[in-house]
Amino acid sequence: MPFDLHFLARLMPELLEGAKVTVELAVLTMAICLVWGLVVALAQSTRGPLGWLAGAYIQIVRNTPLLIQMYLVYFGFSMAGFGLSGFASGLLALCAQNGGYVAEIYRGGLQAVSPRQYESGRALGMRGRTLYTTVILPQVVARVIPPLTNQGITIIKDTAQVAAIAVMEIMKVSEIWVEKSANTYDVFFGAALIYLGLTSITGVVGRLAERRLAFAQ
Amino acid sequence: MTNLNPLYHSFWYLLRGAGMTVLMAGVAIVPATLFGMALALAQVFAGRVAQGAIVVYLFLMRGIPLLVLLTFAYYLLPLTGIDLPPFWGVVVVISLYYAAFMCEVFRAGILSLPIAQWDAAKSLGMPRGLMLRIVVLPQALRLAAPPFVSLCANLVKATSLVSIVGLWELTMASREIVERTLAPFQIFLGAAAIYFCICYSLALYGRHLERRVLHGH
Repeated sequence: MPFDLHFLARLMPELLEGAKVTVELAVLTMAICLVWGLVVALAQSTRGPLGWLAGAYIQIVRNTPLLIQMYLVYFGFSMAGFGLSGFASGLLALCAQNGGYVAEIYRGGLQAVSPRQYESGRALGMRGRTLYTTVILPQVVARVIPPLTNQGITIIKDTAQVAAIAVMEIMKVSEIWVEKSANTYDVFFGAALIYLGLTSITGVVGRLAERRLAFAQ
Repeated sequence: MTNLNPLYHSFWYLLRGAGMTVLMAGVAIVPATLFGMALALAQVFAGRVAQGAIVVYLFLMRGIPLLVLLTFAYYLLPLTGIDLPPFWGVVVVISLYYAAFMCEVFRAGILSLPIAQWDAAKSLGMPRGLMLRIVVLPQALRLAAPPFVSLCANLVKATSLVSIVGLWELTMASREIVERTLAPFQIFLGAAAIYFCICYSLALYGRHLERRVLHGH
């Protein structure tokens, strides 16, 4: 039955080892996606083939399952002769998919600023850099942080899927422990607890960032 | 790598897998929507205790990866003596998980109605049930329709996870074919293309609904 404390005492250090990999993967994905999403969003806002290409990229990565993307990278690349490790394949697929979502978040944030804001800024004699840093970007940041926080939580949960390509993170470690101990309750209690901890921390960080950066409202 | 024969020969098998994916998603969407709606209404109208319980439920579902819940159910259901066929087991887990996100979508729809609508209904002396049925829900559902549809696309993608706990659908079918043909690129690309067709049509429909919401009709 639940909560065999001796068992949990042996289990938790290993789960936390797995959590290190989960955190590493999630933080790398978030950092890369913040930049990559911006690149894609800016590319999409241009006219011509580049904008079209970025739009197609966003639709393709958002409308296919992450798991299939991971299999494609992991098995496909190794078959083509340049195999990537499970971690690298997982990271690549996570960045590809979440980059598409982050790009959409940026686009939504930019579009939500009314054209009148630009006009009033110009009417006050601001131009270029000043206009953006004092009027436009603070409003974009304010609108973009809550959905980015949600995306961060999604990323943490998505990392569980790399267990399918044999990366030793929380999910894989707990599967192994279930197989060898048959103590399902405790293992999943531990795993769920760690995930809840990680996602809650992300939520709190997001809210702090919102309070500090969103001075526009 | 450019040889498309493996895909050509197994395309029918992939399509059957896709049929299973659509069936599974279609069956899961119904209880997820109903339960999510009930949660949203309870969150807006019910007392403190029910609201607290729902907040805890949402916290758990938003913080734990679906894959963890699915694996948990896979190992745990047999132990508890609940003898569900695997298909219904995963349908229950997926709908419980997505109900939490549906709840957020519907709640946002209900709360974004202008206060004047509530006041107007109350001043006409409408009882709560009638007010819900002819004033609140018709407008709230219209607002909630676009995010609801994109959530459905997410649910379709999420069914790919059930292949990890051994259920047969599109992702599982493509893995089987890859094991037989050793052509991961072609087969996983084919599977991704099928997923894309399903999810992108949902996305297009969502965009169509969004335009209707924005422009009145």
